[in-house]
Amino acid sequence: MSWPGLATDGNMVYLADGPFLYAVSLADGKEVWRYPGKRDSKLIFYCTPAVTPDGLVIVGSAGTDHSLVALNPNDINPDTSAPVEKWKFTGAKDHWVAAPLIVENKLFAVNSDGNLYILDLQDGQSSKKATVVELDGRLWSQPTTDGERVYVTSLDHSVIAIDAKTYKVLWHKDLGGAVPGSAVLSKDGSLYVGSLDSQLEKFDPATGDHQSVLDAKNWVWSTPSLDDDTLYFGDVNGNLYSYNTSTGKLNWNPVKPDNSETASITASPLVLDDHILVATESGSVFALDRNGKVLWSQSVGGKIYTTPIAAGDLIIVAPLETDFYLVALNPSGQQVWTFTPGS
Amino acid sequence: MGQVFNLFISVFVNVLIWIYDVVGHNFGLAIILFTILIRIVTWPLNAQQLKGAKAMQDLQNDKDWQAIQKKYAKDREKLAQEQMRVYREKGINPFSSCLPTLIQFPIIIALYQSIIRALASTPLDLLKLSRSIFLPNVSALIPLNSKFLWMDLGRPESVAFFGLALPTLAVIVAITTYIQAKLTMPASTTPGDQSAAMSGMMSIYMPLMLGWFALTFASGLSIYFITSNVLGIVQYAMQGKANWQNLIPGFLKKKE
Repeated sequence: MSWPGLATDGNMVYLADGPFLYAVSLADGKEVWRYPGKRDSKLIFYCTPAVTPDGLVIVGSAGTDHSLVALNPNDINPDTSAPVEKWKFTGAKDHWVAAPLIVENKLFAVNSDGNLYILDLQDGQSSKKATVVELDGRLWSQPTTDGERVYVTSLDHSVIAIDAKTYKVLWHKDLGGAVPGSAVLSKDGSLYVGSLDSQLEKFDPATGDHQSVLDAKNWVWSTPSLDDDTLYFGDVNGNLYSYNTSTGKLNWNPVKPDNSETASITASPLVLDDHILVATESGSVFALDRNGKVLWSQSVGGKIYTTPIAAGDLIIVAPLETDFYLVALNPSGQQVWTFTPGS
Repeated sequence: MGQVFNLFISVFVNVLIWIYDVVGHNFGLAIILFTILIRIVTWPLNAQQLKGAKAMQDLQNDKDWQAIQKKYAKDREKLAQEQMRVYREKGINPFSSCLPTLIQFPIIIALYQSIIRALASTPLDLLKLSRSIFLPNVSALIPLNSKFLWMDLGRPESVAFFGLALPTLAVIVAITTYIQAKLTMPASTTPGDQSAAMSGMMSIYMPLMLGWFALTFASGLSIYFITSNVLGIVQYAMQGKANWQNLIPGFLKKKE
């Protein structure tokens, strides 16, 4: 097992957690449906779901069944009370961990088998005939695109650029450490990647030339979050960094909002209008201003590894190892509702 | 207790990763070498097992013991009492041949956890791995290469054969466990000999159980089982203490 995947379409929260993908109403935290309708021992979900522009929910399984399925939440099967599968892709050989990237009518989905699968969003029937780009290592993070190229990070220490139209590998660079998070494009078009080599690397997206721009204190797991020209990211020691991509310097010395022993930051910081929200393994969330000062903190319990999401006025957190599966907080950190699935 | 076991697993993980680095990033080879290391560390236990088995064999040829068996042939309860008395007098522990096998269980559990943690097939496993490492500069090694021969060491093994998934390692584990158990089983001519009966049961249940483990769990664990069994067989054979006749079905009954 691993930590849950979380996504929203603005009305519903989609939680991939264990045997089910849950759709939970943002309004009141009640379960609307779950997929599959009945537990299937071959299906395990912790892949971050993706929502297409026309409302399909796409999620992959990390069980012995390695299918990637597109669900139509507007078409509920009355027999199972679960949404109808619009299509199902069964061509992958391993776990799905990362959310697929949706670009127009294409789906760029990376799998732990080391392949990038490019599927047609509309044509479920031919989804078995996916274009397969064979890369290396386990691919656990959502690809990134600037429209021209698709960037994939790999646990085999690589960052790879693929032509978004021809799907040819343009460059393939070794960082010396695994990359569990996604690449991020800054305002000036540079590509930034954090690695388990404890480095923040800056890439020229055209050539793949790269250099380390920051030596972190430990593994950088989370995908850096971009806020104008600043990148926020954490390390597994619990340090939060604020890196200015324009000046190439830290805005302030790293801060450690959580002083507990389990303060790891694996979730990406959530950039909100008036603060930055950081979730730590100890089950706490911290709101910091843009100078790194803690404004408030809230202990929600359990352990938090999943990146929280913002939906309207709510902040949705998916802790692990606690009584409830989701908690919704208001902008001040007060609990609005919790979600615990029924039997 | 949980923390102690976690520390135990961490030690295993670090030793495995260190060997993995030394042998050129081959995790299968690392497990094999690690198993040899475990056999060396548990050598005193194995020696005790052999000593216990030898003492049991010697007892079967002891004239006093044979006389007692004859005397109480029709009184099982009395025979059992006399048997315990003889064990006490001669300093024989009837369970000494089973103990090393039982000691293996915590090792098996820790090794299984270590393999899963070291190979880290999920994000949570990888994060746990980061907490387990004492060795410096291992980020270049992570994630470990889980491929060995035709196997993915982090997953149960099977070989596709005419559309069927054959669990070859599970079969090899069961066979080698059976052979090892049979080779070390003392010959018994005594009806109702409790220790012989226990050894006989173990020689059936252990192969089935370890075979099931091999079928269900990561194939890296099967590599450990097979290596450990083969080393055990070689060890007994080299010491001339292996009862090869035990491998022949019905041998004991004929002897009776």
